Amino acid sequence: MAADPTRRVVLTAAAAVPVLLAGCKGVGALAPLPGLAPDVVALDHAIAAEQLMVVRYQAALDALTSKGKEMTVIRALLGEHQEHLDQLRGRLILPPRLATASPGPTPTAPPLAGDGQLLADLAAAEQAASARLLRQLLEVPPALAQLMASIGASEAAHAVLLARAGKA
Amino acid sequence: MRAAEDQAGRGGRRTSRTAQAAVAALQVALAAEQAASYGYGIVGAHLTGTKFSDASTGWVAHQRARDQLIQMISARGARPRPAAVAYQLPIGVRTGADAVALAILLEHQVTAAYLDLVAQPDPVLREFGARRMQAAAVRAARWGGRSQAFPGLPASALQAGHGR
Repeated sequence: MAADPTRRVVLTAAAAVPVLLAGCKGVGALAPLPGLAPDVVALDHAIAAEQLMVVRYQAALDALTSKGKEMTVIRALLGEHQEHLDQLRGRLILPPRLATASPGPTPTAPPLAGDGQLLADLAAAEQAASARLLRQLLEVPPALAQLMASIGASEAAHAVLLARAGKA
Repeated sequence: MRAAEDQAGRGGRRTSRTAQAAVAALQVALAAEQAASYGYGIVGAHLTGTKFSDASTGWVAHQRARDQLIQMISARGARPRPAAVAYQLPIGVRTGADAVALAILLEHQVTAAYLDLVAQPDPVLREFGARRMQAAAVRAARWGGRSQAFPGLPASALQAGHGR
């Protein structure tokens, strides 16, 4: 049975800081951000990894010379990564101070080679991502661990599908 | 003194509840692995060549997982639930294609059965469950199963408005 799906990770440490600095705007603006809870860091890293994966797949679609089965597979898997990203983002609630901050730099995909190498690189990225999630899910609440485990399983299976598409 | 005893009592009850939840999650995974081991016997009986080899490999993987789960349950002082003598298959199997479809179904069921284990606070159990979910999803893909964005997760675990 899935744990409570409504539970969300919140940046509580960051939200507590303005209490000490209220009425002291100048110093408050210069205050360093407090350390983030491990579950927030793990979720943030998982979101960044999914963003990079989406960028990689979009770049692969642009670079692909074959328009056949390879493109169908890449399109389908890109759609699943966008779903992963949506669900992970939905679990993170930022306090106003961080929510309005400038977003981080947009990830860029590495340079792409021929179609075969492109599929192999994506498969390797999927395997690395699923292995990373195995570590990250140890740091988060139960419902988020289940989501991360499921995403990790999806990405491990993606590597198989990409390898098959590369052989076809 | 009384307060300290109360606190110790509450802590003990919490530990006990956590241990019971862990055993219950292990038993769910064990039942799925036992069913998959039985099912793979049927799968293998309808296949030849490399597909038969794949079925044998899958059967061994489920047997090993079953043995590990039995060990984990026993180590917690509980009794592993025995396997059934026979299982009702989710689909009829008459051809090789049926057998492959059954293998995919079994892997999907196994993936979902580890979900409770992944929710346990014990990092060893959590990682074990997540690894088994990945292994089952990979086997399902190797059998030709369709890709899934959230293998094992029920729709109710996903947040509305955030895709699926």
